[in-house]
Amino acid sequence: MTRARWSILTVIVALVGIGWIFVNRLPTDAAPSSGALPPAPTVGHPAPDFTLTGLDGQTFTLSDLRGKPVVLNFWATWCPPCRAEMPELQAASERLAGEVAIIGVNQGENAQQVRGFIDPLGFTFPMPLDERMDVSRQYLVRNLPTTFFIDRDGIIRHTQIGPLTEATLAQRLQSVYP
Amino acid sequence: MLPVLQLGPLALPTYPLALILAGWVALSVAGRAAKRLGVDPDHIYNAGLYGFIAAVVGGRLAHVVVYWSAYRSQPLEIFGFNTTAFLLWPAILAGLIVAGLYVYRRRLPLLAMLDAFAPGLLVGLAIAAVGAFLAGRNPGAASSLPWAVEQWGLRRHPVQLYEAAGLLAVAALTWRLTGHAREGATFLCALAGWGLVTWFVEAFRAPELSQTILGGLRLMQVVGLLAALLALLGFRRMVSNVEAPQEPAAPDA
Repeated sequence: MTRARWSILTVIVALVGIGWIFVNRLPTDAAPSSGALPPAPTVGHPAPDFTLTGLDGQTFTLSDLRGKPVVLNFWATWCPPCRAEMPELQAASERLAGEVAIIGVNQGENAQQVRGFIDPLGFTFPMPLDERMDVSRQYLVRNLPTTFFIDRDGIIRHTQIGPLTEATLAQRLQSVYP
Repeated sequence: MLPVLQLGPLALPTYPLALILAGWVALSVAGRAAKRLGVDPDHIYNAGLYGFIAAVVGGRLAHVVVYWSAYRSQPLEIFGFNTTAFLLWPAILAGLIVAGLYVYRRRLPLLAMLDAFAPGLLVGLAIAAVGAFLAGRNPGAASSLPWAVEQWGLRRHPVQLYEAAGLLAVAALTWRLTGHAREGATFLCALAGWGLVTWFVEAFRAPELSQTILGGLRLMQVVGLLAALLALLGFRRMVSNVEAPQEPAAPDA
């Protein structure tokens, strides 16, 4: 092809391209919102709601925390990486008290087992018990630990499979608590 | 959807597996393309390996710098085996710089190297798109078309498969060109193809998940179109260089 033909092709592609982009533009008020999507355990969707019983016997409902960023961590006492990241989550819960909710959903264990692990170590952030693992199934949790970072509007902004360190927790928190 | 591959007691997340496979296949295809271009495939593997190592080191170093307050109290974490403690763009930049330095220091033909990498990168991106489909990442917009698939509670455009199909078609075209076109043409063809595929299929991505700029334009559509236009201008320039009349040689003194 000659230089002139390449020039014509470039102009045609530019015009058609701009037209297609313009046709598919999004209303600015709807673009960043994910409220229209159904709840699902994936980035961009509203976090599926659930109600569990906490160690104190009180019921815990995720949607009660709407308006506050949530770090939703799935863990178990038999899981070494989960135990390794617990001090970081505890430190964050103390540092960000009242601003970010750090929640540790225990998978498949009873209150006695969980208390036997956390009481000696002084972990105090809320730990609802998912004894029948219904919530774990709802969130498709197949690896422990798994952590969901949920923004103030209840939208999942990041998912972390594997343990958090202080640095990665700080990094992931930026997606919900800049 | 298959977000997790269950192998006995092992639960392996599909998307990272697809990325590993994509990297391996991309490098293998690039090696084969290099043979067709008369470039030693070892240079492709070396540039890829050094680039990968630089990306890992650069991505981690950037993470340490940005989150130094967290690393200060746990300096051993700098060397920790944590697969998420990286920053993506510094990693990509470091990888490209080191791979580029390898090409420069070895005085390798840059355009031929780019041509060699082009089809492999497209195949790798296509595999990553299939992995995203299996994992339900970056899903499509709601659709009632017969081929719409159920993802995250809605029937949607299988936009990741549109992307994979488009990229594979471009990869096949660039593979045919490899060794039969002017130096740099295969790379430009891949860039134009990637840009046009991205520009077209992003229109079918879930709007709620699309980043927008300039009052609602989808960012990736704009990036795709710019890439395609850049490639077309590259072709124009390539033709210009051929059409330009040769200057007469200076007479000997």
